[in-house]
Amino acid sequence: MSLRRREALLPYLFIGPAVGGLLVFRVYPIVLALWQSLHTQTLDGLQRFAGPANYLAIVSDPQVWNAVRVTAVFNLIINPLQIALALGLALLVNRRVPAIGVFRTAYFLPMTVSLTITAIIWNLILNPQLGLANGVLVRLGLPPQPFLISERQALASIMALATWKGVGYWMVFLLAGLQQIPAAVFEAASLDGATPWRRFRDITLPLLRRVLAFVLVADLAINILMFVPVYLLTGGGPHGSTELLMFHAYRLAFVFLDWGRATALAVLIVAVLLMLTGVQLRLLRAEFEY
Amino acid sequence: MADTLAPHLPVAHPTVAGRRHRLRWSQVALYVALTLIALAMLTPLYWALLSAVRPQEVVFQHVRPVSWRTFVPQELTLQYFGEVLTRTRFPRALANSLFISLTTVVAGLVVNSLAGFGFAKFAFRGKGLLFVVVLLTFMMPFEAIVIPLYMLIRQLGWVDSYLALIVPAIPHGLSIFLFRQFFAEFPNDLLDAARIDGASWWRIYWRIVAPLSTPAFISAALMLFIMQWDAFFWPLVAANSAAHTVVQVEISRFVMQESTSWGRLFAATAMAIGVPMTLFFGLQRYYVQGMTATGLRA
Repeated sequence: MSLRRREALLPYLFIGPAVGGLLVFRVYPIVLALWQSLHTQTLDGLQRFAGPANYLAIVSDPQVWNAVRVTAVFNLIINPLQIALALGLALLVNRRVPAIGVFRTAYFLPMTVSLTITAIIWNLILNPQLGLANGVLVRLGLPPQPFLISERQALASIMALATWKGVGYWMVFLLAGLQQIPAAVFEAASLDGATPWRRFRDITLPLLRRVLAFVLVADLAINILMFVPVYLLTGGGPHGSTELLMFHAYRLAFVFLDWGRATALAVLIVAVLLMLTGVQLRLLRAEFEY
Repeated sequence: MADTLAPHLPVAHPTVAGRRHRLRWSQVALYVALTLIALAMLTPLYWALLSAVRPQEVVFQHVRPVSWRTFVPQELTLQYFGEVLTRTRFPRALANSLFISLTTVVAGLVVNSLAGFGFAKFAFRGKGLLFVVVLLTFMMPFEAIVIPLYMLIRQLGWVDSYLALIVPAIPHGLSIFLFRQFFAEFPNDLLDAARIDGASWWRIYWRIVAPLSTPAFISAALMLFIMQWDAFFWPLVAANSAAHTVVQVEISRFVMQESTSWGRLFAATAMAIGVPMTLFFGLQRYYVQGMTATGLRA
């Protein structure tokens, strides 16, 4: 091989193993799922082309629509909640006062606990008879609550535990964004007599817009796919009240072994996520050239 | 960019002293608020860790109503750590998780740093498109492709094997991105000088670039290790026989078995939390650098 051709090949040798791996283990499975979603398995184990049958079965299934509804409610509440709390914490710890680092670390620490362990710890804390949460309510003279075993409170309980873990993570992103804003801007506004609220609304929020948008999209991507607490704590119940979409897809695939429908649903989920990541990419694109 | 969560030292600023007495009450209010939130965030964690070292009979005894006894142990014991390490299948899960995480770190550092270097320093056809693939794969959470990936693993005959748990985790979009950002800052003059001296690109990479890029390697290693240590959904479906069970899945089985002792559950949980938390405290700066590697600015 000539030297020039070797030079031309060299970049591909550097990126080959990793990018090849991504194509095989991230991109190709989606193609596989797409193929499977257009086929059904006959009783003799052969795959037969089924056209859109699996997709039609998915969109005409009331259980799927229930899962879509639960996932929508979950996301409409948890994402604004997490981001508002994270922004509040970021504003609170964005000052140069003694020991502020200790508090930043304290707020971030739950993030180092895996979602599995988070769910297990909170399952005990929210236990109606033995749990710490009702212990606190009783101490305050309030009635104990059923939490995860109640149709009305189970989804909110999952939001609470996911927020406990996640809020410090988004706080770090927003804190980084706040620290990019030059202090001189605030000093000038203060001298002009701007109130703290006006400074927040007219300076902080506009300058933080891109970070906020990024955090919102990234948070949404994670919460649309929320699975672990449902699997471990509620099994989608009581009465389907916590049947999040990813858990429904899991059951179709690994409990009912209905791979046609499971892959059809997985393909739809990937399509939604691709749209979200497309938005995320646009937010990042202005930052660097590649 | 907040490159660390560590304390910012108070700046000795002339106006601070002058304003101090005027700000005192708002300072007090600030610290009260900060402390109350910190207590709310840390109490669940403290209670869980404390429950691992107190006799299991008393763990739930002082919970309702809550009192000081809930949080101050009257007796401490390490008995459950001994039990969980000698009488359960937890040691096997610990060994599996350590093996899987460390293998992923070693292979992942090599493969992803090479790709990061390729994207940072070479021009080649298809670069833009391939880099978009890298970006999309790290922006899409892994859960989205668990079902499709399972089909591939089944085709490969890898179901219930270490291969299924390790190989798909090695190519890692965020690590490639982190390395690319880091290597892009590396001065080209230095690379050109080495080229003129006759060094090959491989040699330049291993002898010059990699040794000078320790922070990027530490950040990526942390990300890969914690990703594998915390993994649950994928190991649950891809390899859940006793031989290949990982820490998170084993603990979830503790919970589902009615006969499990509380002490053993909390001891196992404390160990599962302890590993990433120790890494976090030891390498806080690199941890946050890796996390905010997207370099997004306000």
